[in-house]
Amino acid sequence: MNKVVTLSEAVTTIPSGSHVAVSGFAITRCTMAFASEVIRQGIKNLTVSQCVGAMDADLLVGGGAVERLLYGGGSLDRFGRLSCVNRGIEDGTLIAEEHSSLSMAFRYMAGALGLPFIPIRSLRGSDILKRLQQVAPSATAYVKDPFTGDEWLALRPLKPDVAVVQVQVADPEGNAWIIGPRWDNEEQVKASQRTIVIAERIVPTEMIRREPERTVIPGFRVSHVVHLPFSAHPTSVYRAYDYDADHIRLYAEAAKTPDGMRAYLDKYVYGVKDHWEYLEKVGGMKHLDSLTADAILGY
Amino acid sequence: MTNDVEYTPFELMAVAGARELKDGEIVAVGLGLPVVATFLAKRTHAPNLTMMFELGVIDPEPIHPAVGLADPRVWYRAKILSSFVDMLGTVLHGGRVDVGFLGGLETDAHGNVNTTLLGDPKGKFRHFIGSGGANDIASSSRRTILIIRHEARKLNEAVAFITSPGYVTGGDSREKSGLAGTPSRVITDKAIFGFDPESKRMMLLSIHPGTTLEDVLANMGFTPIVPDNVPVTEPPTAEQVRLIREEIDPNGMYAG
Repeated sequence: MNKVVTLSEAVTTIPSGSHVAVSGFAITRCTMAFASEVIRQGIKNLTVSQCVGAMDADLLVGGGAVERLLYGGGSLDRFGRLSCVNRGIEDGTLIAEEHSSLSMAFRYMAGALGLPFIPIRSLRGSDILKRLQQVAPSATAYVKDPFTGDEWLALRPLKPDVAVVQVQVADPEGNAWIIGPRWDNEEQVKASQRTIVIAERIVPTEMIRREPERTVIPGFRVSHVVHLPFSAHPTSVYRAYDYDADHIRLYAEAAKTPDGMRAYLDKYVYGVKDHWEYLEKVGGMKHLDSLTADAILGY
Repeated sequence: MTNDVEYTPFELMAVAGARELKDGEIVAVGLGLPVVATFLAKRTHAPNLTMMFELGVIDPEPIHPAVGLADPRVWYRAKILSSFVDMLGTVLHGGRVDVGFLGGLETDAHGNVNTTLLGDPKGKFRHFIGSGGANDIASSSRRTILIIRHEARKLNEAVAFITSPGYVTGGDSREKSGLAGTPSRVITDKAIFGFDPESKRMMLLSIHPGTTLEDVLANMGFTPIVPDNVPVTEPPTAEQVRLIREEIDPNGMYAG
């Protein structure tokens, strides 16, 4: 079954208010083209989740699409803070359910496994837990180990409406390879009702069948496949292209103030009609080719 | 042995961190100085040490400067590339991590670490990176080592926000919270601290060469336990400094 659609068509299937799990980790494999299209389509009040807060969530928050963020903390690595996320937390305009990396991963995993809850050692004794109990009273509870009688912290499973995942390779059915570390992506996909795969490259299913051990996302979980090169720009995609340091710096600087962020959105999100125009605006083919990953290094 | 080796405070902290690691141990690290300390241990007394990064990376051999864990430059030549559930789940939560290596904005008398916010949590505050895997590492490693700059505003009686628990409020409060392992060392650019076995309050273990007790205490926001005799921290050897400068961190990619 061929599920290939345009990015715009895939984004149209997401109603305002949905819970969307996105695949970014700081400045790598972030759903950047997706985030821009969500903002252009005026989708609002999303719940966005990911283990480590990344540039895709920051752009979605900066673009006014997010009501609630579930994450484990995050940054743009050495490029700076997630300014839109942090500003939203500081001024109270963003509801943040802050976790740790593993507690987010466990919540996705419990959702994927169909478990009613999952015990975890993390968070106890911390102010992360105290704050989470205030912001999301139904996210955690205490349970007694039926075998030892010990008390454990239990987390409620996460079951996002849709996972949106940047991958290197997929076939038209959505069978997808994530090359390199997968952080929380596999659990995000398996916990979600459905998945939108955004692939750098589409290959025939025959290619997938020849190396099926590489498949991380099975096609039956995928509702739509989008073929879009450089769709994680300016973040990196391992073995495809490096991060665009100059553009991340430009974003990090702009995002420091609401005015700067508005100007960024006007130029790079609202100022282009689609991803292809965005790619021209950030430097076009010649610039993008300079980011192409070295075959041995992977960056 | 006379020691006229020149070294920076950064190199001294890395060497002190390396000395805490034993051969064969599994070490969970974030980027920065802990990486240098761990590589140094691996190149010297602990060749069979295993180093893991939370997102799913074991024993990489980077050759280019990296901007963080999300930079594929730190994944280069890894032995495995997997996931959070694999690293923080099966290895860390499963009880296999011997040492968790942490950094922070602020720590306190009981070794709690704050990487979340500065200011008043209930009023005006500035929000930073948060936990990532730090809370998980502090909750499940057999022992944790914290590396932090020695400044009064970073060493307080109680942190503004406990991101990663140390001994919580001291005594048996950590145990009662259901956490595994214990905070072990706090390494600053002036001294090395451990914790008093009873009160679990930070205790001075050694003072770095060229630093005085007065200097150590004057730059802290609380008073640690000070034993009668506090030795001088063993300085780096010429070979350790050479390894850091020429082989492990020739570009200063992890420094600062």
